[in-house]
Amino acid sequence: MDALEQLAARSGRTFPNLFEARRLTERRLGEMKERLAGLAVDPDVGVALFGSWGRHELTPHSDDDWAILVAGAERSEVRPSPVAVEKAIGREESKPGAQGIFGASVFCDHLVERIGLDADDNRNLTRRILLLLESVPVANGSVHAECRKRVMAGYLDESVKDYRPPRFFLNDLIRYWRTICVDFVGKEREEEGQRWALRNLKLGASRKVLFAGGLLPILLCHRYKAADIGPFLDAVLSRPSIDRLAWAFLELEAVDAGVRAIGAYDRFLRMLADPGVRAELTRLPRREAQNSPLFVEGSRLGDELEQGLLALLFETPLEPLVREYGIF
Amino acid sequence: MVGNRGDWPVLVEEATRLSSFAVELAALGGEELPALVEFLAGEPPLPFRYLSVHGPSKGRHVSEAELVATLARLPGFVDAIVLHPDRIEDPTAYVPLGGRLVIENMDSRKATGRTADELEGLFAHLPEAGFCFDVAHACTVDATMAAAADLLDCFVDRLRHVHVSSISSDHGHVPLSAGDEELFAPLLSRCRDVPWILEAAPR
Repeated sequence: MDALEQLAARSGRTFPNLFEARRLTERRLGEMKERLAGLAVDPDVGVALFGSWGRHELTPHSDDDWAILVAGAERSEVRPSPVAVEKAIGREESKPGAQGIFGASVFCDHLVERIGLDADDNRNLTRRILLLLESVPVANGSVHAECRKRVMAGYLDESVKDYRPPRFFLNDLIRYWRTICVDFVGKEREEEGQRWALRNLKLGASRKVLFAGGLLPILLCHRYKAADIGPFLDAVLSRPSIDRLAWAFLELEAVDAGVRAIGAYDRFLRMLADPGVRAELTRLPRREAQNSPLFVEGSRLGDELEQGLLALLFETPLEPLVREYGIF
Repeated sequence: MVGNRGDWPVLVEEATRLSSFAVELAALGGEELPALVEFLAGEPPLPFRYLSVHGPSKGRHVSEAELVATLARLPGFVDAIVLHPDRIEDPTAYVPLGGRLVIENMDSRKATGRTADELEGLFAHLPEAGFCFDVAHACTVDATMAAAADLLDCFVDRLRHVHVSSISSDHGHVPLSAGDEELFAPLLSRCRDVPWILEAAPR
């Protein structure tokens, strides 16, 4: 029984939308693997899906954010090519976003060797963090596992201490979260507020689950000796984000708050799965948002999720760790 | 604050002195509601992160449909609209309030809405509604606090905020006593993630 199921069993709640999204993800992952099975693939190359696929929270309108992972040396020709993957996947309406983060080849060397400084651009940072926090393999899974292992090793160097959260990894995760928040405004200005409401709600809910799904395991590394931190993180981060949250609420005896936080997220997922709601939120400009019952409700659910997470961080034994590691 | 009832700017100023985090603006008399709605419609600058409006618990001079229409006009920055279950005649009339509607448990003087069993039927009609846990009300119903624990168990995923106080012998809300603080602590510790509204000045 996974942590979400345990939380549901402890509280007598069902989280129907999360479990439905999991079933849909499993089904669609099987289909996706079949579509990609016929592609010629180099031995050091794999294909992975990111975002809601990695969170196991697929809704009918989720994007197919895929990337070709290359564990070996950088080169100009990689099999499969982006064109071949795009053709195999099809689904024109769900193509990756236009920022170029996905829908391309990603060299593991870049993710591992370019941490910090100018070469670690927004794309590289996003790909690295999402590879660890919300990705799932769909072709040649061993490459995905190898890349994750190498990226993790890049964080867990000799600076890691017994019974301390790994600060280098923590700092990069916090940097990523703040980058998302700053880029939200950047995108708003660049695109003159298009899709502001939907993006705002996702920032307050799905992106927060992503961040907390990394933050909590990293803080809980304080329970382990340095040698055990890698295996612990590898095991925990292989679970979907919401499972990591459910696990943390159970571990820290904050079951009531966990039920409310995850219950709110469950209802938010129901909103995202509704095509009418999604269309309205996509259309809604910022100046009208506070007059939209849908936006107000989505915003309220995001607040409920945040309240639960804040209680977990500040009203449990995690509080001294957040104080010591979360600010400076 | 009782002396300033209806003077919303002054009440807000008084509340801010205590906390800028959460506030409940209570229009307990039906005649107080229009002025509160008008005050909030003007979008006054407010410091609160969580703003609840307590709807009328007496003196409703309009139909339920009219009351709901008025409450539904409250601006989007109002997080919760608290109502007493014993004042609700037709639950379905309140569906338009959606997730902002919050139902409070009642004290022992009321005929209904006191226990989880009595509230369950109401919530069945209002799937999106939240729950306001009035810990002192629950204590008047069952001094062992078993009924209070039952409320938190049954409505764990609906809990939105908590009312904190003690109850005097004439059933008024008074500052939380040291004895009640100890008695309520195990239950309040289950509510650390939601705002607490003090229904009487702190000791």
